[in-house]
Amino acid sequence: MSFIEFKNVCKRYPGSDKDTVENLNLNIEEKEFIAFVGPSGCGKSTTLRMIAGFEEITGGELFIDGKKMNEVAPRDRGIAMVFQNYALYPHMTVEKNIGYGLKNMKMPADEIRKKVDWAIEMLGLEEYRYRKPKNLSGGQRQRVALGRAIVKNQKLFLMDEPLSNLDAKLRVSMRTEISKIHRELGATTIYVTHDQVEAMTMADRIVIMKEGVIQQVGKPMELYDHPVNQFVAGFIGSPQMNFFDVTVEDGTATFADGNSITLSDGTLKKLNGRRGEMILGIRGEDIKMDAQNMEINGENRLHAVITDTEVMGNENNLYFTFGGAQAVARVSKYEISQIGDRIDFVFMPSKMHFFDRETGVNYMEMQ
Amino acid sequence: MVSKKQRRINWILVAVLLVLSIFFLFPVIWMLANSFKPDAAITADMNSIAAFIPPALDGNFFDNYIEIITNTSFLRYMGNTLLYAAILIVLGIIVNGLAGYALAKIDFPFREQWLLIIMMLLIVPTETVITIHFLIIAKAGLLNTILGYILPSIVNPFNIFLFRQVFVSLPDDVYEAAQLDFCGPVKYFFTMVIPMSKTVVATVSVFTFLNVWNDYLWPALVFTSSDMLTAQIGLNSITSNENTTMGQTLAVITLVTIPVIIIYSLFSKQIVEGVTSTGSKEG
Repeated sequence: MSFIEFKNVCKRYPGSDKDTVENLNLNIEEKEFIAFVGPSGCGKSTTLRMIAGFEEITGGELFIDGKKMNEVAPRDRGIAMVFQNYALYPHMTVEKNIGYGLKNMKMPADEIRKKVDWAIEMLGLEEYRYRKPKNLSGGQRQRVALGRAIVKNQKLFLMDEPLSNLDAKLRVSMRTEISKIHRELGATTIYVTHDQVEAMTMADRIVIMKEGVIQQVGKPMELYDHPVNQFVAGFIGSPQMNFFDVTVEDGTATFADGNSITLSDGTLKKLNGRRGEMILGIRGEDIKMDAQNMEINGENRLHAVITDTEVMGNENNLYFTFGGAQAVARVSKYEISQIGDRIDFVFMPSKMHFFDRETGVNYMEMQ
Repeated sequence: MVSKKQRRINWILVAVLLVLSIFFLFPVIWMLANSFKPDAAITADMNSIAAFIPPALDGNFFDNYIEIITNTSFLRYMGNTLLYAAILIVLGIIVNGLAGYALAKIDFPFREQWLLIIMMLLIVPTETVITIHFLIIAKAGLLNTILGYILPSIVNPFNIFLFRQVFVSLPDDVYEAAQLDFCGPVKYFFTMVIPMSKTVVATVSVFTFLNVWNDYLWPALVFTSSDMLTAQIGLNSITSNENTTMGQTLAVITLVTIPVIIIYSLFSKQIVEGVTSTGSKEG
């Protein structure tokens, strides 16, 4: 049995005619770091709040550590949570905030002190120990919130967009810190975010949700390389995957502007005889311009004119219009091009995805 | 940067306010100055500027006050009033605070309608219900008891409204975090909500104190035993006694005014906030 099990879990708010979370089935293993991602309103926070017990489960069953949790009060679920807005107790100092839960657990004072000292040291909060939250920066507040969660020794950590109020630099360092805490404590962690970079960098597995329905569950690279549908393909990865309307006939994909490429045997095999209008998806880094790739895929050489460039430092993003759509190619920092330059490129045959135009399903990932 | 014109307007405003303050302060200064004088001196100074100047500090300076403190029970009345106010402040915060919290944060049927009914009670004058209160308290055998005095005053629609306005802006996630910290709802109210809302607690305390301190009608009806009287009734009984001199009358009025002045100067911020409360977030 998995540590957390969702069995057909649904959530419908009173007065609504649609489920906010629909038939959620998911198993989460002990010590796993799992991230729920998706756009606003996809049901990820609602799911987290159902695990915490702050939202009533209107259908299905939720098990934590083998026990059915539908009717169990939040305090009895064995969870610790970090909130988006920190939810610190404004009238208490840092050490009192961290130790408050332990005090309510009736832990002896010297033991509380020991645990609070450990958390304060671990999170580098020594010099802020006697400060109140209003005298702390956003990053320090989030550390206190983390401290409050880790001292209680709970087996399950819930994190609701904990880094979304921090600036970009701090977010990166806190990401590392949260990962470190997870490794050291080994508690099962469920992390909700709308930032796919956070999910990709921290999670063992990612759950992608859209309109209350799980789209795909998998390891970060599985999702990146093998998205099951166009939504997942577009959501994971930055810059976003390029999408082109194509017509597949006789082993050829023809773009809206008349350009065409010959499809490889591998691609055709996966297409399994499917033909007609589809969406071709390819990531920016799989659009190649180097001599070697041009040589290998010479017959599928395409060209376009650069409309914009983005210098990222370690690489460049080249924007161009092709096949009736805006596209972006990620190239190394040594491949310098200017706006207005003509570029020749090929699509890596093994990296192309073909999506159904209606359902968005990825034919390349169908069994 | 304040413009020259704005600065001139400010000066004019300050001048007008100063004149008004002096105008309102005159009776107070007059009362204070004459509370130290024997009646003969008060009458003699009546038509001169000396009416606003206290007498020289000699052995008889505090005579009027000593007379009031030693020969009447006025200090006891003041003590009684302070006790009643303290009890009502504590109970009022608990009862009205809990009601305000429920109206702000707990989802129950007809919540908005309840709030409306409570707000409608604000327009009912005390005098219209005082007879009913008196009959109930008398029937319950609570006349001449502290309980009989405080019972009708504990619930205060204005304070409930005030609490509700402030509590509504308290973040919900703090309550959720507290739940996960094993803090139950009652403990949460007393250890989190009240400390997080110090300003409104102070405002309600000040208003309750001033209400009790200035209340005349209700204690006059409930208390018949002289041991239990409040400062206002004591003031009336002392000043209406024909043996009390004018100086002593002014001394007792001064005594009854002092706590109010202290409270106003210490808590003016809270009083203003209470009057202008729009439910803005607590700092």
